[in-house]
Amino acid sequence: MDQPETRHSLIAHLKGGDNERAWVEFVTLYEPFLQHLVIRLGVPQRDVADVVQQVLLTIAKSVDGWKDDGQSASFRRWLTTVARNIVIKFMHKERRQVGGRGGSHFVELLEQVPATPDREQIARYEHELIVWAAEQVRHEFIDTSWTAFWATVIDGQLVKDVANQLGITCGSIYMSRSRIMARIRRKVDEVLDDALTTEDHP
Amino acid sequence: MKSFSSNCDPQLLQRSLEDVLSEQQEEWLESHLEDCATCQQQLTELAGDADGWSRVEAVLREEISGTHPLGRGIISTLIPGNLESPVQSSRRFGREILPADFAVDFLEPGREPDSLGRLNDIEIRAIIGHGGNGIVLKGYQKELNRLVAVKVMAPQLAANAEARKRFAREAQATAAIVHPNVMPILTVHSRSQLPYLVMPYVDCESLQQRLDREGSLPTLDVLRIGHQVARGLAAAHAQGLVHRDVKPANILLERGVDRVMLTDFGLARAVDDATLTSTGLIAGTPQYMSPEQARGDSVCTQSDLFSFGSVMYAMSTGRPPFRAQTSYGIIRRVIDDDPRPIGDLNSEIPIWLEGLIERLLAKHRDARFTSADEVAFLLQECIAHVQQPHSNPLPQTVKSLAKTRRRTQRAKGTQLRIQLIMLASLAVTLVVILIASGAFDRETNPDNPVGENPYQQNELTTSAPIKSRGESAAAWNDGIGEDLQQLDVEMDRLLEKLDLSELNEHETSNQPKGQ
Repeated sequence: MDQPETRHSLIAHLKGGDNERAWVEFVTLYEPFLQHLVIRLGVPQRDVADVVQQVLLTIAKSVDGWKDDGQSASFRRWLTTVARNIVIKFMHKERRQVGGRGGSHFVELLEQVPATPDREQIARYEHELIVWAAEQVRHEFIDTSWTAFWATVIDGQLVKDVANQLGITCGSIYMSRSRIMARIRRKVDEVLDDALTTEDHP
Repeated sequence: MKSFSSNCDPQLLQRSLEDVLSEQQEEWLESHLEDCATCQQQLTELAGDADGWSRVEAVLREEISGTHPLGRGIISTLIPGNLESPVQSSRRFGREILPADFAVDFLEPGREPDSLGRLNDIEIRAIIGHGGNGIVLKGYQKELNRLVAVKVMAPQLAANAEARKRFAREAQATAAIVHPNVMPILTVHSRSQLPYLVMPYVDCESLQQRLDREGSLPTLDVLRIGHQVARGLAAAHAQGLVHRDVKPANILLERGVDRVMLTDFGLARAVDDATLTSTGLIAGTPQYMSPEQARGDSVCTQSDLFSFGSVMYAMSTGRPPFRAQTSYGIIRRVIDDDPRPIGDLNSEIPIWLEGLIERLLAKHRDARFTSADEVAFLLQECIAHVQQPHSNPLPQTVKSLAKTRRRTQRAKGTQLRIQLIMLASLAVTLVVILIASGAFDRETNPDNPVGENPYQQNELTTSAPIKSRGESAAAWNDGIGEDLQQLDVEMDRLLEKLDLSELNEHETSNQPKGQ
């Protein structure tokens, strides 16, 4: 568990204040997503923590490149964008080496923050985020709610039919599926912030 | 609340998305949404604009279609299991994950024909249940000629050194509790690849199973079961152990004998450690949690009393006292709400028992009984009273609880004051959680630096248990086991699906062959 160490070294970079807080919060929200992503990329179980750590470290190291643009939440916005770019780069590299060992060599690969990723890469990143968010949110809801959401929204079945099949009311389906959608979007927004809509770069 | 009738209320819709409706509001809105197309539409829009909905829809569809590069070959936990649709059933086919998967490496080849494998001196014969915390196996020890239940720690927990240490410590402590109402632990192996513990195999069903089958129980059964659970708890508390996961699924009713056993000691504690996130909340179903647990505060023996009260409530009414659609909703009710009076749900429960349970469910730990011992004693007296009311009067403490209850019902002012206090303590809690969320950064300012989002606070409270569960499951699946995620909290429920008695009979008849 070398996590606190990374955080510690970064904290020195951040010199306290708002940015430090933004970082702490960012890592708290971002780390679970990274874990999910790294596993999906086929990194072996024993290396997952290590790889996640490496990616976070790379993000942390790029903190030096930040310049305040004077607008609100500047650091947080910047951080999200950098993280996205690093992760996209990582997704790209890692996919070519699935089965290979995750480890310190990633740092070098990731060291150079990539140029603006293309639309397709961003879409892929977004895909991962939404899938992750949905998986997180799924456990907040009882099975019936999730089933109703899935059947009516994703499978496109009629609310009435699904209500019959599940033995619940249409009203409860409307309620729970909107709740689920709102939660997924909320979850995504936490991590995404406004980075994907604002095209600002360091 | 009465004024809502037939009027649409956008605010209520927004609050419904945030999952902060009271049970009555929820019921009202549910029936209102049944017919009101305007509100259906409005609720949909509040949840997200058309673009947002379609983006999520498109991604999830692509994900389960298996065409997405990263999604390929990964079992999605997103597809619900309880709805038959052509697409899903064909996709689900062949995705079945054998619960033994994680135990395969772990077991050595068996020596008996009906053995799944061997674990030291135990021939494993069946899988009784599995979930996020681990797996429960049924085994046979030839030398001792006895059936045992083996509980194996899940790999993602075993990978955590601290969790292993706790597992060992707690399991050893539990082994020291020798009490007829506590499921004994025969052996603990904490240094093996996956730590496991061995318990006697008992022909039993869980209280949860019984409640599912029968609903609320007769008063005398509530008292008898409660009495034995309280005694088991008292024995644990005497050893300095807090159970922390008292719930119907952890209470076993031995078949054919009037014996109740408390199980799953200490494991809950080990589990907390590995899944404790920086936000300081634990994973698992919060339905029987005490308010202090739900808040992530430290727990004590009185916390077990609260959970015990919830179990008593569930026995009396057939349902847990705090229900909601989401974990967050449950946590909120545990912290804030008074459960619906037992008398409303089951008028056969005597008013003094209702008072006793309410006292156990006091939000503040000091307002509960002082010890499980005291509760056990009182319940014993109550049993005597119910059996022979004339010769055995109710204990004075219990009698006075019945009176208290009638009084509080009238004293609305007091209730209001209590609610205010609750609100204040909730605010404090949120701050505490916010601070805890920066666990390594003790000076984190609880101000919200990210933005103006009104859900921010809810978010932090609610995201913790979910996140931790996701993490642990993610760590476990190793690319193939995502389906296991959904079993995470459901270990006990799965246990219940298997008819243990049937298994046992089968086993017994097979035994000579096995030798």
